[in-house]
Amino acid sequence: MTYFAGIDVGSLTTEVVILDKDDRMVSYAISATGANVTEAVEHTLGQALSRAGLARDRLNFIVATGYGRITIPFADKKITEISCHAMGAHHLFPDTETVIDIGGQDSKVIRIDGEGKVIDFAMNDKCAAGTGRFLEVMAGTFQVPIDDFGALSLKSKREIPISSICTVFAESEVISLIARNEPAEDIIRGLHRSVVSRVWGMVQTVGVPGPVTMSGGVAKNPGVVILLEEHLKKPIHIHTEPQIIGALGAALFAKKHFLRD
Amino acid sequence: MTRKEYLVKQKEMGRHLLGVFPAQYPKEILWAMNIVPAEIWDPPLEITLANAHLQPTICSVVKLGMELILQRKCDILDGFLFPHTCDSIQNLASVINDYMKTEKPCYFFYHPKAPYGAAGRDFYRNHLKELIGSLEKQFGPLDPDTLKQRIHQGQKISALLTELYDLRAQGELNITNEEFYSMIRHGEYLFPDDFIPELEAFLSQNKGQGIKGQARVVLSGVLPNPPEILTLLDDLGVRVAHDDFLIGSRRLLVPANDLDDPFENLTESYFAMPPCSTKGSSIGERAEYLFRLVDATGAKGVIFNVVKFCEPEWFDIPNLKEELKKKGISTLSLDTELNQGLSGQMVTRVEAFVEMIG
Repeated sequence: MTYFAGIDVGSLTTEVVILDKDDRMVSYAISATGANVTEAVEHTLGQALSRAGLARDRLNFIVATGYGRITIPFADKKITEISCHAMGAHHLFPDTETVIDIGGQDSKVIRIDGEGKVIDFAMNDKCAAGTGRFLEVMAGTFQVPIDDFGALSLKSKREIPISSICTVFAESEVISLIARNEPAEDIIRGLHRSVVSRVWGMVQTVGVPGPVTMSGGVAKNPGVVILLEEHLKKPIHIHTEPQIIGALGAALFAKKHFLRD
Repeated sequence: MTRKEYLVKQKEMGRHLLGVFPAQYPKEILWAMNIVPAEIWDPPLEITLANAHLQPTICSVVKLGMELILQRKCDILDGFLFPHTCDSIQNLASVINDYMKTEKPCYFFYHPKAPYGAAGRDFYRNHLKELIGSLEKQFGPLDPDTLKQRIHQGQKISALLTELYDLRAQGELNITNEEFYSMIRHGEYLFPDDFIPELEAFLSQNKGQGIKGQARVVLSGVLPNPPEILTLLDDLGVRVAHDDFLIGSRRLLVPANDLDDPFENLTESYFAMPPCSTKGSSIGERAEYLFRLVDATGAKGVIFNVVKFCEPEWFDIPNLKEELKKKGISTLSLDTELNQGLSGQMVTRVEAFVEMIG
């Protein structure tokens, strides 16, 4: 049996997916990237191999992706996360025409063809606005666990708009609103709206989307998903583990390159 | 010899030095008055002092130009020339000349914006004469025969650059992207007596088969900065097949004309230049120009590599991208700072684009 691994090293989390020759997901693992990429990769790969009951030498081809892809010396090939998210989303939801990936460090909107190949994409600029990091910083300001942040936004009865798009200035604005005793859920709803507005701007630049799949950790945030679906006027495909879509795409590329080589 | 060493040497030889801000100006007139135009695009400085005078949303071309002056690195210059390229450069001219009261003489050059008509040609011709009149007060009279000779040299440079661009477009230039632009940009300060032989030598040394099978792209924008964009494309095996740079084809590839009257000649040259955002060219003209570059080179996509906050460029890009997409031409836009390298995210964007067109 041949096996293929995809490793996605993101700014917040590292994911590994192991596939067999029939594209079946044998195992996957997710862990925090932390300050040491090499350790994070070793740890996450080790977990995935352990869950699959495989030794590392059983992996026939490894593709690395994500911002830390350049730091994985044993990867057979490095491919950008844009191509990998496209391929992973297409594999899970074959009707996908647009992928919205909101990750920790950046967000991107990717248009894909019927084979999962990228035909256009847009990516946020250097600042953290419109990313998972923005929501994480704001959750910290409210001392709310990030996993509960989206659900809290859904309790809002009167959304408060946030005028600043810069994370640092938005945080100052939020602190002022807290000082005025504005309800937390209303401010949080406004924060979610600001993320979605940024992402929606990118959606517009790549054109009106058909079926949409969301990937990345923020896909688990119902506050963001609902606001995006409002814009799209249709439901979004979301996998139970949206964070692994990049690693899955990398593993699919690993198989493709192994067979081609 | 570095740019600075060259300019010092020119000064020692008795030539005058004029710091010229971007982008379009009649350099033949300056040459004919024994003036070396030292263009100011992207001096390698850290911006500290200029931030006190300019808001954060001003592009780094303007900020670096002001920084150069504020750091007193222009002492060798005899003055400045400010072409009316965009609002920011126009206002920079005001800040430098009217508010900061620099001790250096400042000259201004207003070129007509599209759509062009007969009045625009008259204006341009007259404005050339006005510029000469202003310069003569400081640098002495212009000899008409010398002007004709310098126009001839300008045409020679355009012909050599056109040959260089054509060879590159045909894949018959055995150099990297970085080497190409390094050569082209020598023209931003070399006197024609030196630039012409350098171009001729470069052409004869590098004519030859380029690497086959490389993905080809067209670059568009103001200038190919940060330089890391070129080395990244070199590393990825991507050939820049042509450009639509303000610093490049938009002002360098001027069709030759044989008009004897120097003012008619210079006027004809200006109006024959490729379309440009800073000249108010229409989206249709600009898109058509990009289509031609893509068709002629077999490029698979266009990368808009544009200085952050460059309003003339960024206003055009959404429409240009739309027009290119209609023809099935892939596009990528990058907003870059001149001298701050490429972030990991920028590298990812470029790599993903190369994967997309590969």
